[in-house]
Amino acid sequence: MNPLSLFFKKQYAVEEKIQRLLRYLEDMAHLYQGAYEAYLDGSSDDFAQRNEELNKIEKEMDDLGLQIQMTLMRESLMPDSRDDLLWFLTKLDKVPSSFKHSLGEIALEKPEIPEDFQVPLKKMLIHTHDAVKALAHATDSLFSDLRGVRQHVEEVGRQESEVDQVEYKLLKKIFQNEKFELARQYQLKGILRQLGAVTNLAEDVADAVLILSTKHST
Amino acid sequence: MLDPTILIFLSSGLFLGWSLGANDAANVFGTAVGSRMVRFTTATLICGAFVVLGAFVSGTGAAQTLGKLGAVNALGGSFMAALAAGLTVFWMTKFGLPVSTSQAIIGSIIGWNLFSDSYTDISSLLKILSTWIICPLLAAVIAAFLYSATKLFVRKIGTGLIRMDGYTRLALILAGAFGAYSLGANNIANVMGVFVPVAPFPDIQFGQGFSISSAQQLFLVGGVAIAVGVFTYSRRVMMTVGSELMTLTPLAAWVAVMSHSIVLFLFASERLEQLLANLSLPTIPLVPVSSSQAVVGAVLGIGMLQGGREIQWPRVYEIVKGWVVTPLISCLICFVGLYFLQNVFQQTVHRESKYLLSASVLEKFQKEGIDAAGLSELSDSVFHSSAEVVRAIKEKVTLTSKQGLKVVEFSFQKSLVITPEKISSMDKKGLSRSQLVALKKLQGQTYNFPWQLGDALAVTSTEWEVRGGGLKNKLHDRKIKRKLAYLYRIFQRRER
Repeated sequence: MNPLSLFFKKQYAVEEKIQRLLRYLEDMAHLYQGAYEAYLDGSSDDFAQRNEELNKIEKEMDDLGLQIQMTLMRESLMPDSRDDLLWFLTKLDKVPSSFKHSLGEIALEKPEIPEDFQVPLKKMLIHTHDAVKALAHATDSLFSDLRGVRQHVEEVGRQESEVDQVEYKLLKKIFQNEKFELARQYQLKGILRQLGAVTNLAEDVADAVLILSTKHST
Repeated sequence: MLDPTILIFLSSGLFLGWSLGANDAANVFGTAVGSRMVRFTTATLICGAFVVLGAFVSGTGAAQTLGKLGAVNALGGSFMAALAAGLTVFWMTKFGLPVSTSQAIIGSIIGWNLFSDSYTDISSLLKILSTWIICPLLAAVIAAFLYSATKLFVRKIGTGLIRMDGYTRLALILAGAFGAYSLGANNIANVMGVFVPVAPFPDIQFGQGFSISSAQQLFLVGGVAIAVGVFTYSRRVMMTVGSELMTLTPLAAWVAVMSHSIVLFLFASERLEQLLANLSLPTIPLVPVSSSQAVVGAVLGIGMLQGGREIQWPRVYEIVKGWVVTPLISCLICFVGLYFLQNVFQQTVHRESKYLLSASVLEKFQKEGIDAAGLSELSDSVFHSSAEVVRAIKEKVTLTSKQGLKVVEFSFQKSLVITPEKISSMDKKGLSRSQLVALKKLQGQTYNFPWQLGDALAVTSTEWEVRGGGLKNKLHDRKIKRKLAYLYRIFQRRER
């Protein structure tokens, strides 16, 4: 047993909860990618099952986030930067919500994805997954080793820019294709925007991580 | 059985201790409690315990400088000196001015010196006054250095946010405990220092190896009074301190407390003084310094390092104004209070002392470098106050401040008799074998002046020699002087 755990029991407990939260986030990123790919491959059962699983984890993450916030308040942890931390946790909470909304829209609208969109969309999904994974690592560094934060935040930025490039190309393709009706064009645009929003949000949260780490290491 | 009037007289010291605890605990734990990093109950428990420990274990060093400034020689005088300081501290707090117990008690002692026509050693006074500038400056420099080093260290180790919070809490508690210990060690002299020369408690002996001196008992009682002040009245001050000068982050709060504690420790540690002297480095004067001054200096040091924009300068000016006004008010209250205590309440506020310029005293002056040739006219003159004898001699020859102290020391008449009963009953723990043998050789001797016993002992054994000059000898000499002061008290011939 680590002798320091006697002194820092409360801190270790919160850290453990945050670690759990980040594991959930990574699981969600994985499920999101899997569910989306299942939809693209036409495997609706697999999609439904993964979507359901993702919703369950999102609920658990919500509860865990609330628990962390309550602990921070109740145990008077980090009184000087508690507001910053609560602001950050609220921001982080939006990432799983974006997964949920993106898949929810697909489940509701069941859009018909053009064949030539399959590969770039899967590429976007890989980058999205990697961006969220890097975000989880950046957040983990914020609570374990501030020196690693910048590297992971930069990785999130790189992945987001990759997603942006593919997204832009696909959007151009949608609106240049005269065969598509306006309604379909807007439906596909909406779906793409939802997918791109996940990495935009991840980048936004990563920036918050960087701000917090800079504030606390100077 | 302890005389109840003694307890009444001591009450003013306890009142002063209480106010010191109520106010100065905020300097140690204020920022930690105010920023909710440490619970009030935790802070008071740690603060109380370590204040008592510091006062009891390391309280004697700084008390001696106060003793040099003015040895208040009657319990009534000590009562008024402590009361005047306590009232000044209390009123200054009421008017919202920051408090410095050190300055208040020094003002009181000067007040007593003026009232009793006692000699004020200017060099000791200047030594203390200089620390009022050195102390905040030193705290500021230490804080600026420590803050930069801590920031670098924190950046280098890159500890995560939550664990850093835990480390900062623990660091604040440890720094607070160190601060409380230093506060007790250094500031107990302010609370009980004036009672040391008239200490009413007999030494307590526990078997062969352990004894508690009268001064230590006083410091223990004073330490408890400070702790009670911490428990009962420090909450509000603790909650407000820290934001007055500038808002501190927990890390900056730790640096402020740590710098404050280091400064207090530097001015109170005899062991450190010894270490510096052994390394032939200049020593730091053992003086009771103001805890408030130290913490203000430390906060300003951090603020200046950040560009000084966040510092509330008007508040700083007010604080400095308070540092000037406090000793003056305390001196005035003490002087007026002594007048009333003596003339209205018929209490003895200073004991009549006799200063005799006998032939042996003049000879001693000559040996100690005071020009005694010009003093023949004053031969066998008797004076009734220390200031009077110094004034009379100054009319004839030039005296430095240190020589003035020597004049007082050598002309002070107090009969001593070395009896075998007293030798057998005295505490011999601090004496070497050779020192004890020398003392026993003097059995049956009587002396008119305390220094004569010191000289006789030095002739009998070199281990009783006051060597003079040099840093290393300073510490050796202080030990000898402390032992001699004990002997002068033990072998004093009781007046019938």
